[in-house]
Amino acid sequence: MRIPNEIDFWRGFALLTIFVNHVPGLYFERFTFRNVSLSDSAELFVFLAGCALRKLVEGPASGRSKGALILRLESRALRVYVAQTVITEIAIALLAAATIVLDAPFLLDWHNASAVFNDPVRAHVGLVLLTHQLGYFNILPLYVVLMACAPLIALTQRSARPLLLPASLAIYIGALAFGVNFPTWPVEGTWFFNPLAWQLIFILGFVVAGEDGLGAFARRHHRILRGLALPIVVIGAGAAIMDFSPAPIEFPAPRLFFMFDKTFLSPARLIHSMALMALFAGAFATIRSWLPRSSAFLSLLGRNSLNVFCAGSILSLTGQIFRFVYGGHVATDAFIVILGFFLMGLVAWASEWREKPLAD
Amino acid sequence: MGIGMARKATGGLAERTALALAFAIFASAFSSAEEAPAPAMAPPLSASCYVPASDIAAPASLPNVAAALQERRTVRILAIGSSSTSGVGAPSNGKSYSSQLEQILEHALKGVDIEIINRGVTGEVAETTAERVKSEVVINRPDLVLWQLGTNDALARIDPGDFEATVRSTIGWLKENRIDVVLVGQQYTTRFARDANYSAIRDSLQRIAAEENILYVRRYDAMRFIAKAHANLELMSRDNFHLNDLGYQCMAEHVAHAVIVSLFVKGVRPTKD
Repeated sequence: MRIPNEIDFWRGFALLTIFVNHVPGLYFERFTFRNVSLSDSAELFVFLAGCALRKLVEGPASGRSKGALILRLESRALRVYVAQTVITEIAIALLAAATIVLDAPFLLDWHNASAVFNDPVRAHVGLVLLTHQLGYFNILPLYVVLMACAPLIALTQRSARPLLLPASLAIYIGALAFGVNFPTWPVEGTWFFNPLAWQLIFILGFVVAGEDGLGAFARRHHRILRGLALPIVVIGAGAAIMDFSPAPIEFPAPRLFFMFDKTFLSPARLIHSMALMALFAGAFATIRSWLPRSSAFLSLLGRNSLNVFCAGSILSLTGQIFRFVYGGHVATDAFIVILGFFLMGLVAWASEWREKPLAD
Repeated sequence: MGIGMARKATGGLAERTALALAFAIFASAFSSAEEAPAPAMAPPLSASCYVPASDIAAPASLPNVAAALQERRTVRILAIGSSSTSGVGAPSNGKSYSSQLEQILEHALKGVDIEIINRGVTGEVAETTAERVKSEVVINRPDLVLWQLGTNDALARIDPGDFEATVRSTIGWLKENRIDVVLVGQQYTTRFARDANYSAIRDSLQRIAAEENILYVRRYDAMRFIAKAHANLELMSRDNFHLNDLGYQCMAEHVAHAVIVSLFVKGVRPTKD
């Protein structure tokens, strides 16, 4: 078990925020930072995943041969893929069970699930290919794609380091310039999180987490970066509070560059998110000394992020069904949040407890 | 207005006869309208889908679609929203509401090419649609966004005030980008006729449409009219929540009717003070 660290702490924070944000209408959603921000926990989560990959590549996997590295990283991607398919199937079963118990067939529609019941032949192929995703169950497919590319990232890092960020940036610019995204099937549409755009923040996390290059530069000039970040964060907060969103018609093509768009991770969102991280980077030590228990709890969640994320996804869907039955009041919402946080903590604790005898 | 309009719980024989008569008259108007070359006539509703115009929508201007028609270019429509848009329960893509709508509009606006891009996702709340719609708009460059919404927000117990804020903000953004919006409201099912959230969301939509001066197709009122007018017609599939073939057909007819009326009838909506 790692001692609480910055990446785990913020990962835990992102996990709790994602859980709250994934119960639409939840009273406590108003206290999550996306209300005063252009970006939300999704950016934080993907950025930190990039950081974690760097730590893995330079830590436990550093001495491995190319083949071993590829195998190691692809097995991680496979683990995420299995997690995604399993939680999606559990979500489908939850909706089906709720439909039976509550005699509420419309629940079969929720979050894009209806194709599974109305067009099962094609939908099942889509589920396995990740081209059919349920609403709120669409972050892990992005993570699967990113992790599947992790060996490529790690090997580029080993042998062609200066190429990594420019290549990533080129893919990002290409995706936004031409509006390229992964298609969904059988339901006609595109991925909610476009991997071609979102890979950039993952790579940025990977690069910044390193001891050299951009990471070293950022740490050396942290004060200046923080000074630059502050006005960006403040302006972003203002825009979010005023509900400002630029009208792309006023800009030249390609217009995806001039929006606050989530699917394509528009530059404004990306820059704002990076500014937030620059501003809060290093704050962990202070937070930990002030709130040791909370810091330990969030780090516990973050250390077991995949399991906790899966639990959080199922719990947020359960919370939605609960709200449908019992209505959305502060009391029901408080119950959902408290029980949800507790169970996510329990999953994290159990994940570590399970590993313990092996470690001893 | 609107909510209390033209609501008749029919049941008596006399009323039924009157309705049958009205259909007969309407049907004859239908055949003559079909031959009329000018597009200035609202597309006729089929007998099964007949609903008084006042129960479908109050016309509102669609300046960007009108401009596209004037320039004789393809009218691009982005259909976004939840299950009825994605076509759950309809047997094939050819029968979905958006493809039927495309056919009706092309037929009514002779010589005009209509392209409908379908981006419906079942069971989606307005907040998520609001996030998706922006990049879809920039990539597909529609003249009109047909936004079907309300049902899932009501069921997810979204606060009507929050719902209203989300929808208004998105409408404002679409307007700024010179895109017309048509809101397509919740469906009528007996199960939710008494649900407080369901009617609160309906009130929100009514208010948004009136204050933003945009076209709002009141599916609930239209479907309720059909349900009360002819008990033998079933618009819903067996689950009593999804539309069946006839339900999709009526939805397409009602939306097309509202759009055409709005395009060719001027100054109908009283200005708000």
